[in-house]
Amino acid sequence: MRTLWEVAKLAIQRQLTYRAATFAGLITNFFFGLLRAAILVALFGQRQEVAGLTVQGAITYTGLTQAVIGYLSLFRWTEVMDSVYSGEISSALLKPMNFFTFWLSQDLGRALVNAVLRGLPIMFLYALVFDITIPSQSGQWLAVLAALILGWLVSFSWRFLVNLAAFWTPNARGVGRFAFGLSWVLSGFIMPLRLFPEWFVQFCNFTPFPSMINTVVEVYLGVLDSQAVIRALLTQGCWVILLVTVAHLVLQAGTRRLVIQGG
Amino acid sequence: MRSAFVIYLRLIAANIRAQLGYPVSFLLEATGTGLILSMWFISLVLIFQRFEHIAGWTLGEVAFLYGLIEMAFGTMDMIFSGFDPHFFGSNVRRGGFDKLLLRPEGLTVQVLGSSFVFRRLGRIIQGVVIFIIALSMIEVSWTPAKILYLPVVFISLICFFGGLFIIGSTITFWTVESIEVINILTYGGSEMMSYPMHIYQDWMRRFFTFIVPAIFLNYYPALYFLDKPALQALPSFAPFLSPMAGFGVLLLALRFWRFGIRHYQSTGT
Repeated sequence: MRTLWEVAKLAIQRQLTYRAATFAGLITNFFFGLLRAAILVALFGQRQEVAGLTVQGAITYTGLTQAVIGYLSLFRWTEVMDSVYSGEISSALLKPMNFFTFWLSQDLGRALVNAVLRGLPIMFLYALVFDITIPSQSGQWLAVLAALILGWLVSFSWRFLVNLAAFWTPNARGVGRFAFGLSWVLSGFIMPLRLFPEWFVQFCNFTPFPSMINTVVEVYLGVLDSQAVIRALLTQGCWVILLVTVAHLVLQAGTRRLVIQGG
Repeated sequence: MRSAFVIYLRLIAANIRAQLGYPVSFLLEATGTGLILSMWFISLVLIFQRFEHIAGWTLGEVAFLYGLIEMAFGTMDMIFSGFDPHFFGSNVRRGGFDKLLLRPEGLTVQVLGSSFVFRRLGRIIQGVVIFIIALSMIEVSWTPAKILYLPVVFISLICFFGGLFIIGSTITFWTVESIEVINILTYGGSEMMSYPMHIYQDWMRRFFTFIVPAIFLNYYPALYFLDKPALQALPSFAPFLSPMAGFGVLLLALRFWRFGIRHYQSTGT
């Protein structure tokens, strides 16, 4: 646990050196949020509520999803596969620390910096420009926090798993690009899952992706009753356990066939 | 001029040959790119089940605009790969640009020939498919004038986006890092242009009219092709300003590019 925090602290320091990039990312995310909000507002038109989602909720949704881009590294995360291709993985495997936990702590540092420097400011800017939904009860805030942490764990284990493809194919970047693209639709990042047809939502719910983003959004917007919130958080927890287990099994199989090419 | 073009063709041919050297990997990448990008459009189609229109435009009408922009942006992204701000920025940082300066050929030709990302074909095909879907969903009353004007708008769009790429790349002469904010104009601009512009707030629409003249390249021509009424009274020539806006942006960008080259200082790598 202590080493985990030490590695995370180093990752935080490293991430903090990219302040200009973080700021640029923030502005870009905010601008795209405005675009997406305009599209949803135009779709709603005169209607105040569609499928349990209000216009205000839809606007808040675009802010939330833009705010978690950096936190969940939603567009790209290739650090593990890069280390496999460069051979640096050998030194990571030599460390007296579980390989999965090592990367988990790295990502914890990265995620924390992005949440504070990119996520929070986006929500703040949104609150300035729009009349957004803000949870009023402390219980709901606790649930949001839990959903955010579990969502990050699901997202990390999934990203880690995708990166492990590098053990088997020299083309893991292509695999990764496709896997990430898939997660955008199924997680409810591109459009709120509630607005999709019933059959499609049911299909999404068979996958871990809604646990990354959609759960956070719905808990935050307060569209779920307290029982549904508990069920959603438990679902997230189950996906975490399942994905972490699978990641460990795949990692074992991968390291067994790994040959470091010298250099 | 003619020899420059021959050199350009040779550079591109070498580039394409290299990429086709791994045909399976190329096919996977191209289809992958197309499929990933189509997720955005598929989401829009799915969501339209609950909404009949977006601010008075049907799904077919939006798809017309969307497909046109995707085709043009994809084509530009392929032709102007060398000016992709991310690619160009790393080229400046690593000193690759200095190498070009040493060669006895025009710089613009060399930069254009330095990269030609052929897998962008995936994006172009995605745009073509969306455009065909659009044509099957709506009845466009085609006239000879409209048929002649469509390719003009298409080429103007390519010039416009290409100009934005050149401006983004030129900025990296000073910033060295490629700046993510330029994505707002390129990727953000193309996404914003995929929807009818009257859904945006006034300040945004004004910005993309008077500062970046995007509205003359998508919205106004689309009103003409689809015979849609404009929300505000428009001069009747507004849909026909595309070539002026497109070539104008490209010419300004090339000016800025020349200015940048004159003030270029190497990073020393």
